[in-house]
Amino acid sequence: MKESYSLTLDVKRYDPDTRISWMQTYRIEAGRILRFTDVLRKINKELDPTLAWNSSCEHAQCGSCSVVINGRPMLACELLVENAVAHFGTTTFTIEPITVAPVLRDLMVDLEKAYDRVHRIRPFIIRPAQNPNQGQEYRISPRVMEGYLEATRCINCFCCATACISSHKGFLGPNAVMASLVRIMDPREDATADRLKQLYSEEGVYRCHSSMACSHVCPKEIDVAHFVALVKEGDFR
Amino acid sequence: MQKMFKLASKIQCDVLIIGAGGAGLRCAAHILEKRPGTRIIAVTKVAHPQKSHTSTAQGGLAAVDPKDAVDQPIYHMFDTWKGSDCMADQDVVRKIVDAAWEEIVWLENKGMHFTRDEEGRLSKRTFGGHTVRFGEASAFRAVFEADRTGKGIMDNVWGEALKGGVTFLDQTILTELLLQGDRCVGAVLFMEKPGDFMAVSAKATVLSTGGCGQVFRVTTNCRQNTGDAHAVVLQAGLPLMDMEAVQFHPTGIVGPGILASETLRSVGGILRNKDLEPFMARYAPKMKELAPRDLVARAIETEIREGRGILNPDHNIEHVWIDLRHLSDYVHEVQIPEVSGFFKQFMNLNPRTQLCPVRPSNHYQMGGIPTNSFGEVQRSPDTIVSGLYAAGECGCASFHGFNRLGTNSILELITMGRFVGERVVLHLDEAPGALPADAGERTFSQFGGYLELKQKENVEQIREEMRRMMTEQVGVFRTEEGLKTAIQALSAAKDRLREAGLRCKDLRMNQELVQRWELDNLLSVSMVIAQGALRRRESRGGHARSDFPQRRDQFNAHTLAYMVEFGKIRFENRPVNMSIFETKGDHFDKFGLIERKY
Repeated sequence: MKESYSLTLDVKRYDPDTRISWMQTYRIEAGRILRFTDVLRKINKELDPTLAWNSSCEHAQCGSCSVVINGRPMLACELLVENAVAHFGTTTFTIEPITVAPVLRDLMVDLEKAYDRVHRIRPFIIRPAQNPNQGQEYRISPRVMEGYLEATRCINCFCCATACISSHKGFLGPNAVMASLVRIMDPREDATADRLKQLYSEEGVYRCHSSMACSHVCPKEIDVAHFVALVKEGDFR
Repeated sequence: MQKMFKLASKIQCDVLIIGAGGAGLRCAAHILEKRPGTRIIAVTKVAHPQKSHTSTAQGGLAAVDPKDAVDQPIYHMFDTWKGSDCMADQDVVRKIVDAAWEEIVWLENKGMHFTRDEEGRLSKRTFGGHTVRFGEASAFRAVFEADRTGKGIMDNVWGEALKGGVTFLDQTILTELLLQGDRCVGAVLFMEKPGDFMAVSAKATVLSTGGCGQVFRVTTNCRQNTGDAHAVVLQAGLPLMDMEAVQFHPTGIVGPGILASETLRSVGGILRNKDLEPFMARYAPKMKELAPRDLVARAIETEIREGRGILNPDHNIEHVWIDLRHLSDYVHEVQIPEVSGFFKQFMNLNPRTQLCPVRPSNHYQMGGIPTNSFGEVQRSPDTIVSGLYAAGECGCASFHGFNRLGTNSILELITMGRFVGERVVLHLDEAPGALPADAGERTFSQFGGYLELKQKENVEQIREEMRRMMTEQVGVFRTEEGLKTAIQALSAAKDRLREAGLRCKDLRMNQELVQRWELDNLLSVSMVIAQGALRRRESRGGHARSDFPQRRDQFNAHTLAYMVEFGKIRFENRPVNMSIFETKGDHFDKFGLIERKY
């Protein structure tokens, strides 16, 4: 077992001041279980404080640190150096921003713009269904919830949307479709017809080419394509 | 240089919410329910509200279900009071506990995906320190959404705020509060994306920016929890309360600082030092690994200090081991799959065959911006700043006193968020105050300074040294000598920062700039924590002085600390509210100055 690795990181940079984009190479020694967020922090400390990157919780719960590493969208906070070396079979890595929103600087993208798609599906109960237990909780059987619970684990990291071959154009994107489907399957939502209308519209699921890239890259290991397929089949409850 | 800066815009709104996590957006949702059309601006430092620290809370949300035949609100109040080491304010404890179930129903009705039992009702689990009949038996009081309760809350309040029409300003920071006399009239913000400064006039300004865990080297807190509102409040001449009351979780996973939950010890995990000795037997011969959190944390810290820790070369942190190798496959697969998974995911080791590295990890700041039970910010022990509110971890009402019980934090943020909303609604018909003529000047001189400074020192280097020093001297154990060392080191770090200028001078999305500003905030907060800890010559809850190991009645008061100029602190006391005890109702005797013994 190697204790540390000499890494070569080719990082895509962008300066909003000059509007110039370029690849910058950093060579850095990194311990085997450092995460890529730790490596980026090490670059800030030892080589270049100006390199901008995004993160928040740094344990795969918030989805802020998504980047594209050697072509694959992933969370920088859960990629360990030795796993990256094993997975890609190299110590040279290209790190680029995710592609679903404009770049602000270096690896930081305007996530607010990416979220526009999620906002469009209205990520809340649009019209509450009648609750027989007024003033108390709705009664929902765990059997009913089983159908969509997995999809509620989504953290909107946009890895799936980045990998999705269609999401760059008019498609709502896999994560937004999944968020809407959760409410369609949730017995507390009454506005399922409105939701379906949107999911079957121009920006809806027919833009999906079933490449299943979404499921393949999801850091939470959610079978996103399964949920998109449910929408396509119209099979909800 | 500062002449270059100007306010890019001055805007008006009804309510300015700074910090769009659970507390801030619960407040927004309440206001919009009562007064649709209210113009609310919610500001967040992170890339999107969903990325807030609230999202990372795992366990649950304590609330007494009125349908429960066994549990009662008075038991929850007692547990909270006892856990607080007699420093929670009883008016606040009563108010939050009484409102708790309503909030659960609200969250559920709005769409939170709580875990349910076979009948479709909300499932409940038990947590340390939560009991029925005043400590007699464990209470099943915490509702939860699998192991992601905080995410459920966050998704829900964000959705409701969005539905109600809140305007969000993402990646925006609060740099200055605008006060006119005893009233807050708004704030100055810096929008990171365009690199613009902006003044916002508001009838109500709500601070809900979260904690300050980044003060410490190993923490469960998000990267953005740098005590920003705390520092801005100090600058405005307002106090912070009980900042020395910091909670450390005994077993954080080394490096990332993620919680390795208590469950590991309750299912039989054994703590070992570098000689593989099961050392808990020396500290708690009977309870061993099952001793209370603070005792376990101090035992681990002692092992490390006395040279029996192990250094992790990658993260350069010392730790002890937790041994899970002897546990059955059933335990690994069924009882601890998540935590087992964390070790695999973030340390690349297999808990069935390998020892796992853990050490105490900073977890929660019990202190914060002092408020009354309505969430109104105080300027002194008995006066408020009108128009200024605080809720969530950055606020301190105080519900937790000197030690917080598990599952009480997200309860506090959601209820206090609503209480602030209720109070704000009462003031919406008032006219907004005029912004001061010099709005922004302080910010411009601060930020201008960063651009002008020499580039001799490295911000990340100073930050790392500060966090290490805070962990060593102001962490799990504190002594007079260590605290004095810490205070000196903080002053020295502040001096070094005067030569830590920026390489990137463009204001747009300038991470270097924001981190430079954050470090100023971290240093201010650290100084208040260290000096508060030095002044409090006793041990109480999360504040453990090895030179004063007992709780002492003369310190039965909240600490208010004022610090306009770095290092120069003025202290005052705020009495602890003991209204449950004083009204002499049923069981009042349980709410006196009781011992915190389990």
